[in-house]
Amino acid sequence: MELEQKLAILADSAKYDVACTSSGSARAGARGHIGSCFAPGICHAFSADGRCISLLKVLLTNVCVYDCSYCVNRRSNDLPRAAFTPRELAGLTIQFYRRNYIEGLFLSSAVMKSPDDTMERMIATVRLLREEYRFLGYIHAKAIPGASPRLVEQLGLLADRLSVNIELPSERSLCLLAPDKKKPAILGPMGQIAQRGRQGREELALYRAAPRFAPAGQSTQMIVGASPESDRQIVGLAEGLYRKFALRRVFFSAYLPVSTDSRLPAPDTPPPLLREHRLYQADWLLRFYHFSAGELLSEAEPNFSPYLDPKCGWAVRNLHRFPVDVNTAPRAELLRVPGIGPKSADRICIARQNGRLGIPELRRIGVVLKRAQYFIVCRGFTGARGAGRQAVARALLDPAAFEAGSEQLSLFATPGQSALQAPGPAPLAAQGGPPGVPALPLARLAPEIGQLAAGGMPPAKAARAVWAEAERQVAARL
Amino acid sequence: MVCLEVLYQYDGSFAGFLSCVFEAMARREAPFGVFCESTAPVTLFESRRVPTDPEKAGRVFASLRKKLSYHAEEMVCYGFLHASPQKETALLRFLLFAYAAERQGLSACRMPGHEAVAPVLAMERQVTHEAHQLTGFIRFAQCGGVLGARISPKHDVLPLLRGHFCDRYPDEDILIVDEPRRAALWYPGRQGGRARLLELAGGFSFPEPDPEEAALQSMWKTFYQTVSIQARENPRCRMNLCPKRYWENMLEMQNALEGRG
Repeated sequence: MELEQKLAILADSAKYDVACTSSGSARAGARGHIGSCFAPGICHAFSADGRCISLLKVLLTNVCVYDCSYCVNRRSNDLPRAAFTPRELAGLTIQFYRRNYIEGLFLSSAVMKSPDDTMERMIATVRLLREEYRFLGYIHAKAIPGASPRLVEQLGLLADRLSVNIELPSERSLCLLAPDKKKPAILGPMGQIAQRGRQGREELALYRAAPRFAPAGQSTQMIVGASPESDRQIVGLAEGLYRKFALRRVFFSAYLPVSTDSRLPAPDTPPPLLREHRLYQADWLLRFYHFSAGELLSEAEPNFSPYLDPKCGWAVRNLHRFPVDVNTAPRAELLRVPGIGPKSADRICIARQNGRLGIPELRRIGVVLKRAQYFIVCRGFTGARGAGRQAVARALLDPAAFEAGSEQLSLFATPGQSALQAPGPAPLAAQGGPPGVPALPLARLAPEIGQLAAGGMPPAKAARAVWAEAERQVAARL
Repeated sequence: MVCLEVLYQYDGSFAGFLSCVFEAMARREAPFGVFCESTAPVTLFESRRVPTDPEKAGRVFASLRKKLSYHAEEMVCYGFLHASPQKETALLRFLLFAYAAERQGLSACRMPGHEAVAPVLAMERQVTHEAHQLTGFIRFAQCGGVLGARISPKHDVLPLLRGHFCDRYPDEDILIVDEPRRAALWYPGRQGGRARLLELAGGFSFPEPDPEEAALQSMWKTFYQTVSIQARENPRCRMNLCPKRYWENMLEMQNALEGRG
């Protein structure tokens, strides 16, 4: 088989893996070697679905002995199969890397004979890259569930990041949909990697030449929408994984129907892309905004609103915490204000040492005053008290869920000129962005819009109707 | 400090700009604007030609780090690479404010909300952001023994790319051509040489790829097409993250460009 054909088959099989980040490792280049690592990561291209391509993401083989019902590579699926030899893949990686197409290799594999056999072939590939090609670029490798700890150890000493996919958000769903995979087989390597990583960092503090075990840590991913778990369970699980296994990232992947299994959503179900987006927003709140999972969702409200981003949702439920005085509040409290992120919070903390801040300063710092104005006081501004509930609701609703897109933000009045005025007209949903920019597909919008549209209403009209209803609902809670 | 209705003109070099800063400080005046001779607007204001003086420029440059801070030096150096014709005016305004603040014991770099500082911070961010994007979006092609790439950036980011690529490919010969500015970065790594920034006399074109190179390029395009998930297609998101102005120099984007017609 031609190499290009193999690449097409094995990239196609790997594309449902979400992680493509090249962050977490910093390594300078050196003469006699090729490559380097940049700690924040570098995106090299963006595919038509808007995802970053940073690593050459392929499977070593898509021949699989397992039969997990949600997976395209399951044994019972009729699919062209292929396998790279370690030398083919290592050579291809170096040639792509030299041309700056990629930041490194993302190596995963289906389970060919046994987990151990598969892992050994993966290790051979990575070892070839590191030792023969003297490659210092980024390598992300999947630890195969059920492989022996000895092999996970070897792989970790060669790769920058390891990951073990937790696949589904609960053991029950795992038993149901992936009967060949067992929870201990997944959590076992995860625990080993976490423990070994901690040990590696301790050794590194003692002597500089200590071998580095997976310096970029480990990540995992789970499929959302294939099983009945609520957002609350998923965010809680993510938080637990961050705490217990010191994961760097938890990725979510909206379930795309790849089979007609009766245990799974019907093949024509659109992927829950907006839900996935909300989960990522919540993930950011956990990692960078000091939120805890318990604050974001409750038993009474186990799922995120499609209309509000999780931070605005929290603010609406916790109005007693506001307004925050920008000139005195600690950083952690600034981070709770909708419209202030980690960067603007840092800048505010620096800037206010040199004088009190007012609205013009905050705007220059980069605070999104469209939302923040209702939650802050600062020099010369005692809060947007006169604003009606409708106006506040309008400012908080997430326009992306109504197709209006980010371009619509500029329509809103920001404080300074008219802090207390109600913002302009509601963003006319479904107008699309500027001419020439395609509108968002229905799968990315609030689900009600899709339902109305399916009933025969024009999408633009449906979006307007849902927007009006959402505005009313949010205003009623203020 | 007297605000004068006067324009400074200089030769467009960094030393020339620093000479303008010296001039403004020495005369205790804040000119209305600073422009390169070739791009200066026609106005009713008096305009003064400020000669480039390496000695004065050196004194100003040394004072950036000594009197202000390392970050101020970075802001000025990166800000000067910005493409805006207003960049010198913004930088001068920032520096005059920063020196004045320094005399009162304040650090201008730590006032990101100030009207004289925020525009320069924004310029610095735009320049470094474009340089960062290009560290990913540059596509090399093997031409003979050399890895060659063409870029057409908005800002003059070639100097910022040098460190990254020399570190990454220490044993390769690299040529990066900035087409609109007729500038090039040449790094003869195979002979163990040092990287240099060159000026190109005329247009420059890389040779057509040989069959081996063409096969590799075709594999990359195949990978790029394959890895996208159709059910998640989102061209708007792609365009936000990889703006169209980069596409002409990106191998895998040629289809998308032509698809537009």
